[in-house]
Amino acid sequence: MKRVCTFITFFSILFLFFTSVAFGQVHTRLRVIRASNVGSSVDPSLRDVHQELGSLFSFTSYRLLRDEPLNLSPNHPVSISAREGKINLETTLVGLHRGVAEVRIRVAREGKEILNTQVRLSPGRTVLIGGPRLQEGVIIYALSARF
Amino acid sequence: MNDSCSSASKLLEKYFDQEATDKERLLVESHLQDCLACRGALTSMEDMRTLIKVPVEEAVREEDFPWVWQKIEREIRSHEKLTRWQSLRPWLDVFPLFKKKVWIPAVATVVVLLFITGQIIFRKTPSYPDSSVVEYLESPTYNVMVYQTEQPKVTVIWLFEGPEEEASPS
Repeated sequence: MKRVCTFITFFSILFLFFTSVAFGQVHTRLRVIRASNVGSSVDPSLRDVHQELGSLFSFTSYRLLRDEPLNLSPNHPVSISAREGKINLETTLVGLHRGVAEVRIRVAREGKEILNTQVRLSPGRTVLIGGPRLQEGVIIYALSARF
Repeated sequence: MNDSCSSASKLLEKYFDQEATDKERLLVESHLQDCLACRGALTSMEDMRTLIKVPVEEAVREEDFPWVWQKIEREIRSHEKLTRWQSLRPWLDVFPLFKKKVWIPAVATVVVLLFITGQIIFRKTPSYPDSSVVEYLESPTYNVMVYQTEQPKVTVIWLFEGPEEEASPS
Protein backbone atom coordinates (compact mmCIF):
# COMPACT_ATOMS: atom_id res chain seq x y z
CA MET A 1 0.00 0.00 0.00
CA LYS A 2 2.86 2.30 0.94
CA ARG A 3 4.55 1.61 -2.39
CA VAL A 4 1.35 2.25 -4.35
CA CYS A 5 0.94 5.61 -2.59
CA THR A 6 4.56 6.51 -3.38
CA PHE A 7 4.04 5.68 -7.06
CA ILE A 8 0.81 7.65 -7.27
CA THR A 9 2.48 10.68 -5.64
CA PHE A 10 5.47 10.42 -7.98
CA PHE A 11 3.37 10.26 -11.13
CA SER A 12 1.08 13.02 -9.90
CA ILE A 13 4.08 15.31 -9.50
CA LEU A 14 5.30 14.36 -12.98
CA PHE A 15 1.85 14.98 -14.45
CA LEU A 16 1.55 18.37 -12.76
CA PHE A 17 5.04 19.34 -13.96
CA PHE A 18 4.35 18.46 -17.58
CA THR A 19 0.90 20.04 -17.64
CA SER A 20 2.25 23.26 -16.11
CA VAL A 21 4.95 23.35 -18.79
CA ALA A 22 2.49 22.63 -21.55
CA PHE A 23 -0.18 25.06 -20.40
CA GLY A 24 2.03 27.66 -18.73
CA GLN A 25 0.48 30.75 -17.29
CA VAL A 26 2.09 34.15 -17.32
CA HIS A 27 1.72 36.34 -14.29
CA THR A 28 1.54 40.02 -14.99
CA ARG A 29 0.57 43.17 -13.16
CA LEU A 30 -1.69 45.74 -14.72
CA ARG A 31 -2.00 49.22 -13.33
CA VAL A 32 -4.60 51.63 -14.68
CA ILE A 33 -3.46 55.22 -14.16
CA ARG A 34 -4.96 58.61 -14.80
CA ALA A 35 -2.43 61.31 -15.54
CA SER A 36 -3.51 64.90 -15.60
CA ASN A 37 -2.48 68.46 -14.88
CA VAL A 38 -5.06 68.84 -12.13
CA GLY A 39 -3.23 68.93 -8.80
CA SER A 40 0.28 67.78 -8.23
CA SER A 41 -0.02 64.51 -6.41
CA VAL A 42 1.72 61.34 -7.46
CA ASP A 43 0.61 58.06 -5.91
CA PRO A 44 3.57 56.43 -4.14
CA SER A 45 3.10 53.24 -6.15
CA LEU A 46 3.44 55.23 -9.38
CA ARG A 47 6.83 56.78 -8.77
CA ASP A 48 8.42 54.53 -11.39
CA VAL A 49 5.85 55.55 -14.01
CA HIS A 50 6.18 59.23 -13.10
CA GLN A 51 9.95 59.00 -13.32
CA GLU A 52 9.73 57.42 -16.76
CA LEU A 53 7.05 59.66 -18.25
CA GLY A 54 8.18 62.81 -16.47
CA SER A 55 10.85 63.43 -19.09
CA LEU A 56 8.36 62.93 -21.94
CA PHE A 57 5.14 64.54 -20.74
CA SER A 58 4.28 67.40 -18.48
CA PHE A 59 1.61 65.79 -16.34
CA THR A 60 1.64 66.94 -12.74
CA SER A 61 -0.69 64.37 -11.25
CA TYR A 62 -0.59 60.56 -11.46
CA ARG A 63 -3.45 58.70 -9.83
CA LEU A 64 -3.76 54.94 -9.57
CA LEU A 65 -7.25 53.77 -10.57
CA ARG A 66 -6.72 50.02 -10.53
CA ASP A 67 -3.88 47.69 -9.68
CA GLU A 68 -4.55 44.06 -10.54
CA PRO A 69 -2.56 40.89 -11.04
CA LEU A 70 -3.39 39.31 -14.39
CA ASN A 71 -2.75 35.64 -14.90
CA LEU A 72 -2.68 35.19 -18.63
CA SER A 73 -3.37 31.80 -20.15
CA PRO A 74 -2.67 31.04 -23.80
CA ASN A 75 -5.39 32.42 -26.08
CA HIS A 76 -7.65 33.47 -23.21
CA PRO A 77 -8.35 37.21 -23.44
CA VAL A 78 -8.57 39.18 -20.21
CA SER A 79 -10.39 42.52 -20.28
CA ILE A 80 -10.08 45.53 -18.02
CA SER A 81 -12.44 48.46 -18.33
CA ALA A 82 -12.07 52.05 -17.24
CA ARG A 83 -14.34 55.06 -17.21
CA GLU A 84 -17.50 52.99 -16.78
CA GLY A 85 -16.54 50.68 -19.60
CA LYS A 86 -15.90 53.39 -22.20
CA ILE A 87 -12.25 52.45 -22.51
CA ASN A 88 -11.48 48.77 -22.56
CA LEU A 89 -8.13 46.99 -22.65
CA GLU A 90 -7.94 43.37 -23.66
CA THR A 91 -4.77 41.33 -23.19
CA THR A 92 -4.19 37.87 -24.64
CA LEU A 93 -1.18 35.61 -24.21
CA VAL A 94 -0.36 34.32 -27.66
CA GLY A 95 3.00 32.72 -27.01
CA LEU A 96 5.62 31.92 -24.43
CA HIS A 97 9.17 31.17 -25.53
CA ARG A 98 12.13 30.95 -23.17
CA GLY A 99 10.92 33.42 -20.61
CA VAL A 100 9.50 35.87 -23.14
CA ALA A 101 5.73 36.18 -23.30
CA GLU A 102 4.07 37.41 -26.45
CA VAL A 103 1.02 39.42 -25.47
CA ARG A 104 -1.54 40.87 -27.81
CA ILE A 105 -3.08 44.10 -26.52
CA ARG A 106 -6.21 45.69 -27.88
CA VAL A 107 -7.54 49.00 -26.66
CA ALA A 108 -11.09 49.98 -27.59
CA ARG A 109 -12.91 53.21 -26.93
CA GLU A 110 -16.68 52.99 -26.83
CA GLY A 111 -16.46 49.69 -28.67
CA LYS A 112 -14.20 51.02 -31.41
CA GLU A 113 -10.70 49.64 -31.58
CA ILE A 114 -8.09 52.36 -31.24
CA LEU A 115 -4.99 50.21 -30.78
CA ASN A 116 -4.01 46.71 -31.76
CA THR A 117 -0.49 45.70 -30.89
CA GLN A 118 1.59 42.74 -29.89
CA VAL A 119 4.47 43.05 -27.47
CA ARG A 120 7.15 40.77 -26.06
CA LEU A 121 7.22 40.85 -22.29
CA SER A 122 10.39 39.67 -20.63
CA PRO A 123 10.95 39.57 -16.85
CA GLY A 124 11.30 43.07 -15.47
CA ARG A 125 9.88 44.71 -18.59
CA THR A 126 7.03 47.23 -18.28
CA VAL A 127 4.94 48.35 -21.21
CA LEU A 128 3.15 51.65 -20.78
CA ILE A 129 0.24 52.37 -23.10
CA GLY A 130 -1.20 55.84 -22.77
CA GLY A 131 -2.83 58.71 -24.54
CA PRO A 132 -6.59 58.16 -24.72
CA ARG A 133 -8.42 60.93 -22.91
CA LEU A 134 -10.00 60.18 -19.58
CA GLN A 135 -11.98 63.03 -17.98
CA GLU A 136 -9.55 65.93 -17.56
CA GLY A 137 -6.46 63.82 -18.19
CA VAL A 138 -5.31 60.72 -20.05
CA ILE A 139 -5.42 57.06 -19.23
CA ILE A 140 -2.21 55.04 -18.95
CA TYR A 141 -1.97 51.27 -18.72
CA ALA A 142 1.20 49.85 -17.18
CA LEU A 143 1.62 46.15 -17.91
CA SER A 144 4.54 44.49 -16.11
CA ALA A 145 5.88 40.97 -16.36
CA ARG A 146 6.07 39.05 -13.09
CA PHE A 147 7.55 35.73 -14.13
CA MET B 1 36.38 -49.92 46.99
CA ASN B 2 37.12 -53.44 45.63
CA ASP B 3 37.86 -54.49 42.03
CA SER B 4 34.23 -55.26 41.10
CA CYS B 5 33.22 -51.88 42.55
CA SER B 6 35.90 -50.17 40.47
CA SER B 7 34.73 -51.80 37.23
CA ALA B 8 31.04 -51.17 38.05
CA SER B 9 31.59 -47.51 38.87
CA LYS B 10 33.05 -47.05 35.38
CA LEU B 11 29.74 -48.30 33.99
CA LEU B 12 27.62 -46.39 36.51
CA GLU B 13 27.36 -43.19 34.46
CA LYS B 14 26.53 -45.19 31.33
CA TYR B 15 23.86 -47.04 33.30
CA PHE B 16 22.50 -43.80 34.72
CA ASP B 17 22.21 -42.28 31.23
CA GLN B 18 20.50 -45.48 30.01
CA GLU B 19 23.24 -46.06 27.47
CA ALA B 20 24.50 -49.38 28.90
CA THR B 21 24.06 -52.66 27.02
CA ASP B 22 21.92 -55.43 28.51
CA LYS B 23 25.02 -57.24 29.72
CA GLU B 24 26.44 -54.11 31.35
CA ARG B 25 23.07 -53.24 32.92
CA LEU B 26 22.79 -56.71 34.53
CA LEU B 27 26.35 -56.40 35.82
CA VAL B 28 25.73 -52.98 37.40
CA GLU B 29 22.39 -54.00 38.92
CA SER B 30 23.83 -57.14 40.53
CA HIS B 31 26.69 -55.06 41.89
CA LEU B 32 24.39 -52.35 43.26
CA GLN B 33 22.52 -54.97 45.35
CA ASP B 34 25.70 -55.64 47.31
CA CYS B 35 27.49 -52.24 47.21
CA LEU B 36 26.26 -49.43 49.43
CA ALA B 37 28.86 -46.92 48.12
CA CYS B 38 27.79 -47.35 44.48
CA ARG B 39 24.10 -47.06 45.44
CA GLY B 40 25.01 -43.83 47.18
CA ALA B 41 26.85 -42.61 44.07
CA LEU B 42 23.79 -43.42 41.91
CA THR B 43 21.49 -41.58 44.33
CA SER B 44 23.81 -38.54 44.17
CA MET B 45 23.58 -38.59 40.37
CA GLU B 46 19.77 -38.69 40.53
CA ASP B 47 19.70 -35.82 43.04
CA MET B 48 21.99 -33.79 40.80
CA ARG B 49 19.75 -34.43 37.77
CA THR B 50 16.65 -33.35 39.70
CA LEU B 51 18.46 -30.25 40.88
CA ILE B 52 19.30 -29.20 37.29
CA LYS B 53 16.14 -30.42 35.56
CA VAL B 54 13.58 -28.24 37.42
CA PRO B 55 15.05 -24.77 36.63
CA VAL B 56 15.92 -25.77 33.07
CA GLU B 57 12.35 -26.93 32.38
CA GLU B 58 11.00 -23.71 33.91
CA ALA B 59 13.27 -21.60 31.71
CA VAL B 60 12.19 -23.55 28.60
CA ARG B 61 8.52 -23.08 29.50
CA GLU B 62 8.98 -19.32 29.85
CA GLU B 63 10.98 -18.85 26.67
CA ASP B 64 9.04 -17.56 23.58
CA PHE B 65 10.66 -19.56 20.83
CA PRO B 66 8.59 -18.27 17.85
CA TRP B 67 9.56 -14.72 18.78
CA VAL B 68 13.22 -15.70 19.06
CA TRP B 69 13.03 -17.37 15.66
CA GLN B 70 11.43 -14.33 14.06
CA LYS B 71 14.24 -12.22 15.47
CA ILE B 72 16.83 -14.57 14.05
CA GLU B 73 15.13 -14.58 10.63
CA ARG B 74 15.06 -10.81 10.60
CA GLU B 75 18.73 -10.67 11.42
CA ILE B 76 19.50 -13.14 8.62
CA ARG B 77 17.47 -11.12 6.11
CA SER B 78 19.16 -7.89 7.10
CA HIS B 79 22.56 -9.44 6.52
CA GLU B 80 21.57 -10.89 3.16
CA LYS B 81 22.93 -8.84 0.29
CA LEU B 82 20.26 -8.28 -2.38
CA THR B 83 21.21 -7.71 -5.95
CA ARG B 84 19.96 -4.54 -7.63
CA TRP B 85 17.38 -6.47 -9.58
CA GLN B 86 16.15 -8.28 -6.42
CA SER B 87 15.67 -4.97 -4.64
CA LEU B 88 13.87 -3.50 -7.66
CA ARG B 89 11.60 -6.47 -8.19
CA PRO B 90 9.10 -5.78 -5.34
CA TRP B 91 8.57 -2.27 -6.73
CA LEU B 92 7.92 -3.54 -10.21
CA ASP B 93 5.36 -5.99 -8.85
CA VAL B 94 3.15 -3.06 -7.85
CA PHE B 95 1.87 -2.80 -11.40
CA PRO B 96 0.06 -5.74 -12.94
CA LEU B 97 1.63 -4.70 -16.23
CA PHE B 98 5.08 -5.69 -15.01
CA LYS B 99 3.84 -9.05 -13.82
CA LYS B 100 2.73 -9.74 -17.38
CA LYS B 101 6.25 -8.95 -18.56
CA VAL B 102 5.24 -6.15 -20.89
CA TRP B 103 7.63 -3.69 -19.31
CA ILE B 104 9.96 -3.60 -22.31
CA PRO B 105 7.33 -2.14 -24.67
CA ALA B 106 6.16 0.08 -21.81
CA VAL B 107 9.66 1.49 -21.30
CA ALA B 108 9.97 1.95 -25.07
CA THR B 109 6.70 3.90 -25.11
CA VAL B 110 7.88 6.14 -22.25
CA VAL B 111 11.17 6.80 -24.08
CA VAL B 112 9.29 7.75 -27.26
CA LEU B 113 6.95 10.01 -25.29
CA LEU B 114 9.90 11.69 -23.55
CA PHE B 115 11.56 12.19 -26.91
CA ILE B 116 8.46 13.83 -28.39
CA THR B 117 7.89 15.96 -25.26
CA GLY B 118 11.54 16.99 -25.28
CA GLN B 119 11.22 18.10 -28.87
CA ILE B 120 8.29 20.30 -27.91
CA ILE B 121 9.85 21.71 -24.75
CA PHE B 122 13.38 22.23 -26.00
CA ARG B 123 12.62 23.09 -29.60
CA LYS B 124 14.57 25.91 -31.06
CA THR B 125 12.73 29.15 -30.78
CA PRO B 126 13.79 32.41 -32.34
CA SER B 127 15.73 34.44 -29.78
CA TYR B 128 14.34 37.92 -29.84
CA PRO B 129 16.64 40.82 -29.28
CA ASP B 130 15.48 42.77 -26.26
CA SER B 131 15.19 45.86 -28.41
CA SER B 132 12.22 44.54 -30.39
CA VAL B 133 9.54 44.60 -27.72
CA VAL B 134 6.77 45.76 -30.04
CA GLU B 135 6.07 43.15 -32.71
CA TYR B 136 3.42 45.11 -34.57
CA LEU B 137 1.26 48.10 -33.94
CA GLU B 138 -1.95 49.29 -35.57
CA SER B 139 -4.10 52.28 -34.75
CA PRO B 140 -6.68 53.46 -37.27
CA THR B 141 -7.43 56.81 -35.57
CA TYR B 142 -4.37 57.79 -33.54
CA ASN B 143 -0.81 58.75 -34.24
CA VAL B 144 1.41 56.42 -32.28
CA MET B 145 4.78 57.01 -30.69
CA VAL B 146 6.94 54.18 -29.38
CA TYR B 147 9.63 55.03 -26.88
CA GLN B 148 11.86 52.50 -25.23
CA THR B 149 14.47 52.47 -22.49
CA GLU B 150 16.60 49.60 -21.25
CA GLN B 151 17.40 50.88 -17.74
CA PRO B 152 14.77 50.47 -16.42
CA LYS B 153 13.17 48.18 -18.98
CA VAL B 154 10.26 50.31 -20.07
CA THR B 155 8.46 50.59 -23.40
CA VAL B 156 6.05 53.48 -23.90
CA ILE B 157 3.33 53.32 -26.54
CA TRP B 158 1.63 56.67 -26.73
CA LEU B 159 -1.48 57.53 -28.71
CA PHE B 160 -1.90 61.08 -29.95
CA GLU B 161 -5.40 62.14 -30.89
CA GLY B 162 -4.43 65.11 -32.98
CA PRO B 163 -3.85 68.85 -32.71
CA GLU B 164 -6.30 69.16 -29.80
CA GLU B 165 -4.40 66.53 -27.76
CA GLU B 166 -3.52 67.96 -24.39
CA ALA B 167 -0.60 65.70 -23.74
CA SER B 168 2.25 66.85 -25.84
CA PRO B 169 5.90 65.87 -25.65
CA SER B 170 7.79 68.24 -23.42
